[in-house]
Amino acid sequence: MISLSDFLIVSAGLFCIGLYIILTKRNAIQVLIGIELMLNAAILNLVAFGKYDRLNNGGQMFALFAIVLAAATTAVALAIILNVYKKYKTIDPNNINELRD
Amino acid sequence: MHCVSTNILITLENFLQAIDTLTIRFALAAVLLPLLAFVINFCLPKKSNKVAGWISTLAILASAVLSVFVFSKVWNQHPVHQQQLWFTIGSTKLYAGVLLNNLSVLMLLLVSLIALPVHIYSTAYMKSDENIKRYFTWLSFFCFSMLALVVVDSLVLFYIFWELVGFSSYLLIGFWYTRPKAIMANKKAFIMNRIGDIGLLTAIAILFVVYRTFDIDQLFGANALVRSTDFQLPGGWQYVAFGGIFLAVAAKSAQFPLHTWLPDAMEGPTSVSALIHAATMVAAGVFLLGQFYPMFTGQELTILAIIGLFTAFMAATIALTQNDLKRILAYSTISQLGFMVMAMGIGAYSSSLFHLATHAFFKCLLFLVAGIVIHEVQHIKDEYKLDIDPQNVLYMGGLRKKMPLTFIACLIGAIALIGLPLTSGYLSKDGILIQAFEWSEGKSWLFKLVPIGAMLTSWLTAFYVTRLVVKVFFGEFKLAQINPHIKLHINDGGWQYKVSLVFLAICCLFPLFSLNPVLYEHAWLLTGFPKITGLDRVNIYHTIIPVGLNILSLFVIYWAYAVYVMEKALPLPEAGFLFRFSYHEWYIDKFYNTFIIKPVLALSKSARWFDRNIIDGFIHLLQRTGIAFAKVAEWTDRYIVDGILHSIAYTVLGIGNFARSFQGGKVQYYLFSMLAIILAIFLFKTLF
Amino acid sequence: MTMVKVLFYLMGFIALASAIFIAASKNLVRSVFMFFVTLLSIAGLYVLALADFIAITQVVIYVGGILVLMLFAFMLSGRETLANLQQQNDHFLSISKLPALLLAVLFFIVMINILFKTDINHLQWVTKSVSYKIDIKPDSPMTGNIGVNLMTMYLLPFEAISILLMMALVGAAHLSRREKNV
Repeated sequence: MISLSDFLIVSAGLFCIGLYIILTKRNAIQVLIGIELMLNAAILNLVAFGKYDRLNNGGQMFALFAIVLAAATTAVALAIILNVYKKYKTIDPNNINELRD
Repeated sequence: MHCVSTNILITLENFLQAIDTLTIRFALAAVLLPLLAFVINFCLPKKSNKVAGWISTLAILASAVLSVFVFSKVWNQHPVHQQQLWFTIGSTKLYAGVLLNNLSVLMLLLVSLIALPVHIYSTAYMKSDENIKRYFTWLSFFCFSMLALVVVDSLVLFYIFWELVGFSSYLLIGFWYTRPKAIMANKKAFIMNRIGDIGLLTAIAILFVVYRTFDIDQLFGANALVRSTDFQLPGGWQYVAFGGIFLAVAAKSAQFPLHTWLPDAMEGPTSVSALIHAATMVAAGVFLLGQFYPMFTGQELTILAIIGLFTAFMAATIALTQNDLKRILAYSTISQLGFMVMAMGIGAYSSSLFHLATHAFFKCLLFLVAGIVIHEVQHIKDEYKLDIDPQNVLYMGGLRKKMPLTFIACLIGAIALIGLPLTSGYLSKDGILIQAFEWSEGKSWLFKLVPIGAMLTSWLTAFYVTRLVVKVFFGEFKLAQINPHIKLHINDGGWQYKVSLVFLAICCLFPLFSLNPVLYEHAWLLTGFPKITGLDRVNIYHTIIPVGLNILSLFVIYWAYAVYVMEKALPLPEAGFLFRFSYHEWYIDKFYNTFIIKPVLALSKSARWFDRNIIDGFIHLLQRTGIAFAKVAEWTDRYIVDGILHSIAYTVLGIGNFARSFQGGKVQYYLFSMLAIILAIFLFKTLF
Repeated sequence: MTMVKVLFYLMGFIALASAIFIAASKNLVRSVFMFFVTLLSIAGLYVLALADFIAITQVVIYVGGILVLMLFAFMLSGRETLANLQQQNDHFLSISKLPALLLAVLFFIVMINILFKTDINHLQWVTKSVSYKIDIKPDSPMTGNIGVNLMTMYLLPFEAISILLMMALVGAAHLSRREKNV
């Protein structure tokens, strides 16, 4: 049987890789992918713990909700990225460093 | 410099106050008048100012008159000596003063009497030269130096004026300084005189060390210190002192080996040659011998005699073949000086001085005649624009018809030089020869060579003098044979020439010196000097020598006349060895050039090389080392000192840049810093 | 070593490897496609965690929705956007990535540390749940369970999420509207 800690190790690894991607990528869409990866790692965590809760099934429910929210986030984020690109003509997060319009 | 001149003035003042005799005053005046003329001439405005000539002539005339007076007061009477303390060094006192004894006043009179006609002659001879003022300035300076030389009483002053005489000679030889030959000649004269000066200085120093006095009267006078048995010069130093004196005499009086400057000194004006290089300056050497005579030992006197004879013989042989008029006379001077030195050597002290006096007159006369002849030939050269040497006898001839007075004067001078009876030259020369024979009496046969050599030299003298006179005044004018259309417009010259020539010619004849024309023993001049051993007619020499010598001289004169006028065969072939040896002056100049001048120049070149490459090279090395050090310091400063600064700045920059990024507006950095802090908290919690 | 374990290791490895590929890749298109692989392998992991409905939902929504949305978003953005999006100037092993790498590694170490410190396998409620047999078994039907829970216990979040979805839709539509010509 697969123990809980195995799942958690994989989830931690994915989370850290996602963290690395967010911190180092120069492309906003790749940063978005990193965010998605981190979300996926969290959802994996939830699902792994949810195996031990058959009655309330909190893990799997929350996993569902998280997936939906992730979709919404991605949609809005992409729209924002497109708008930002229209203004700054670049999607390098390092170059978008002015607050004013 | 200032204190020396003040000292001189104070000394003079005290001097003039202290003296009570007119004699000293006159002697001083006689010496100082030419100095005054020198100063006045120096300050005259124009270069070509003819007034200079008259000022000098007046000065020397006054000197001559005063000298006559002084001479009459002092000759054969008690010598006059006045001196004044000049300055003190430590415990040594130096005196400056005037000493008038027989020798001094004789020289005083001689110099001023010779200088007077030369000055008169010069006013006409140099009148077309544009530097006439400079000429008379230097001439007066020379007269002052020479007159002062003969009257001083201290060896220090003697040396000073000895050098000044040499210096004036240098100035006058190089009078026409734009000619390179004149410059080379006066350099040569000065350098050789310098060698003599070193010798004289050495001798003076040695004498001072032993006797601790510079006074001439004390050293060589009546109670001569040099002959006292209390103070003796230690063995070797006597020879050194003699060597020094001999060098001085050889340099000044042109004896072998320092005689080569005198023929070259003929580059100067002829009147200068007449005064300086015939009569007065070259006589200073013999004067020196006369002053220092008590100091010499028998051996040294013998050496003097031998060298004197050798010089006389050598110069006579060279004069046989020379073609330059003045050079013949120059070698003749050397020869006669050799006679004087030889006479000193054999103990004929008074005869030597007698010959000095007579030689002065007839040699001066011959030079003045030469000057006139050269002047006239120069006129011809300028008029016809010829390319000849005006002094070359080969171009002259037959001038007696055009210049009668000059011819007669020359003839008198020539006869005096040869030493025929009725002239003063006869009296002095025969005296020397007779005493030479007496001296060699009783000694080994080697010593007999000296008087025989002297006789040979006399006959050689006869030959070359006749050659000279005949080539110039007899025969045909050679220049006209080369250039047919030359007309001789020459004549005797102005009154200045005539007066000088007549005066000197009269002095060459016997009445001035002795009332008896044939017996020299009666000359009044000889009575003034000690060591008169040869005056008694004790042996047969006194008769044979004059008779035999003069008869043979007449034969020699006829022979020379035959060769040169009547064109008989020459005695020696012109391409033969003896002729060439004589013509090239016994190759002495070449010898000096190879063995002395070239090594000195090489030494000077090597010293220059050494200075330039090694000493300067050492300095350059130091310089390069300094520069290298500077470069190293610069490198250190730039890369190490500045490097540290730059690295600090770079570090600060890096840290700043790093810290700046936290506020850079870059969202990933914000995220990073946030996470880093969270991580740090986690780590703290887990580790501690 | 059962088949399940092997499958688990395989899925886990694929997920991590593709995630590392995404991290290392400079090309956007490549990372998007590798993300696709990652998502599918995570879905496989869900299946192994006995959450089959979640796995299907993941595939449908994530892969079929979000990823396709991303692909369409930059493919329809125009050529210069594409060129701009595809460029990355950094080298692979750049020194500016080192802090991030360090951070990520440290985070991983911290998390692993906590996992083993707290002995997650033997949490009290986990062991209790296993002993009381209220954990999910491979043959338990979970879909009905999810449906019942959604309507009873988690009704409020369900409704809230639907409103949120509507807001997101409206907002996204408004944000990416075309500017009217004035």
